[in-house]
Amino acid sequence: MSTAVETPGGRRPRIRPARIGLYAVLTALALIAFTPLVWALSSSFKDRSDIFSFPPRLWPDPATLENYSNLLADQPFWRWMLVSTGVALVSMIATVFFCSLAGYGFAKYEFRGKRILFDIMFSSLAIPFAVIVVPLFILVAKLGLAHPLFALIVPWVAPAFGIFMMRQYTEQAIPDELIHAARIDGCSEFRIFWSVVLPLLRPAVGALGVWSFLNAYNTLLWPLVIVSEPEYYTVPLGLQALFGAEGRQYDLVLAGSILAAIPAIVVFILLRKQLVSGLTAGAVKS
Amino acid sequence: MTATDTRPAARPAPPPARRTRARARRQWAPYLFISPFFILFTLFMLVPIGAGIYLSFTDWAGLGTPEFIGTANYTRLFQDESFGASLANTGFYTVCALIVVLPASLMIAQALNARGLKLRDFFRLVYFMPVVLSPIIIALIFGLIFDGEYGLFNAVLEALFGFGGVSWLTDPLWARIVVVVLVLWRWTGFLTIFFLAGLQNIPQELNEAALVDGAGPVRRFFSITIPILHPVTAFIAVTMLVNTAQIFEEPFLLTNGGPGESTLSISMFVYRAAFLRQELGYAAAAGVVMFVIVFALGRLSISAFGVGRNR
Repeated sequence: MSTAVETPGGRRPRIRPARIGLYAVLTALALIAFTPLVWALSSSFKDRSDIFSFPPRLWPDPATLENYSNLLADQPFWRWMLVSTGVALVSMIATVFFCSLAGYGFAKYEFRGKRILFDIMFSSLAIPFAVIVVPLFILVAKLGLAHPLFALIVPWVAPAFGIFMMRQYTEQAIPDELIHAARIDGCSEFRIFWSVVLPLLRPAVGALGVWSFLNAYNTLLWPLVIVSEPEYYTVPLGLQALFGAEGRQYDLVLAGSILAAIPAIVVFILLRKQLVSGLTAGAVKS
Repeated sequence: MTATDTRPAARPAPPPARRTRARARRQWAPYLFISPFFILFTLFMLVPIGAGIYLSFTDWAGLGTPEFIGTANYTRLFQDESFGASLANTGFYTVCALIVVLPASLMIAQALNARGLKLRDFFRLVYFMPVVLSPIIIALIFGLIFDGEYGLFNAVLEALFGFGGVSWLTDPLWARIVVVVLVLWRWTGFLTIFFLAGLQNIPQELNEAALVDGAGPVRRFFSITIPILHPVTAFIAVTMLVNTAQIFEEPFLLTNGGPGESTLSISMFVYRAAFLRQELGYAAAAGVVMFVIVFALGRLSISAFGVGRNR
């Protein structure tokens, strides 16, 4: 990496104005990305009347935990959290399984109709949710499938984006010889997938897992439509209800948002490397 | 990935009967593997689309039998100023996303790809962070910052330049722009990692050869970077196009479509018609129109860019 070593007698690396400018720009952008979060964090510790105080203060004074204690006392926040994380975890496991399986099917088999089936799968990426939301709501309700946990999870466990991503990754990461060898050893087709292919897909599985967890955890529109019972509210839905209710309760919603952001940020930070490399593997390949 | 098998395939072949059975299984295995997608796709996408098309020709409030009214919903849609506004707003968001977010993320990726850059992973992480947050949190934060009276942004403007009474969220034009800023803030870092990965894939020799040939940075950018990044750009452009065309949460949470209807999006229009006004047939018709537009644009750009094709 160090160019200074490669060019002996060449220019010594020194700090050039362009470099300083580059770091300045990158730091400014980092501040833009980060300040709103810091602002929200600080505001969540402010007294209700101080949230919109003028001039704005970064450091809450007096700092208070009242927003958090009020939220947790008055609202079933942990219940929302339980529903959200439960739904997100189950969705994640199912999504990873179905997408890897289908991605492997598309990547490593030749079969009649493969091209058209792949095209159909890929086109489904361009189907806007707004066209299905109304009839799907009616169907789910009429067929008696409206149990929130069913409706929140089952329709979305085989997203086309995930299948596409897993296909790309499988093509790159799994040598055909490995599959042939397993076949000669007498493994069944599913066995090959489960014990030979899937372990090698781990980086992409991690990325898809994080992606689908965050998707399910953060989504609002479908829960808003389908969940009417407060005991099955997800976190975004609960916060939305608070926020939409009388007088935008910024104090409570801020505290809730910060608590809700913690799992998302923790998952993201723990699995960031896998997420970045796995997500980009599919798209970058020419 | 070092597990490449080098054994010669000179194993004793299994008896013929077993081999044909294995081959038969190999033939139906891929169908079985991709079937979960197609079952869910049929049940939860195709059937609803069909039902939506049927509903769009009816008048229905959710109770009793839908009443067939021909194309009345569609004629009404095209005369409905709210629908026109939502189309225009959504178009505005989408165009902005493509001409602002896309180049911005390419530029940032280019900066992050500078040789010997320190803290690259840190910057990438920070830029990526907004996209992992729930839109409701983002909308809330933006509500705090862009509040017309007490927002942080107005206070900063006031302190720096001595003016700051801009009603960001209650002025029709500014409200639209704040929605775009929100989209920009949320997505740019996410798209950057795709571009950065693409840039890191460009062989170093290519740039060095161009450098030897005397090509300047601008020339190298247009003759090497842009063509090589084509597949990434295409993927991102299509994703962004389809996502922004369905934008719902940002304007819904930030401004609830207001002031008036100046930030209303098509998805919000559908949601409002169906679930707040109980005009299910009318909502379905709006959904169908949106489907036709998004699907046509999506398909068009998929084939124009050749996304998803392998060679």
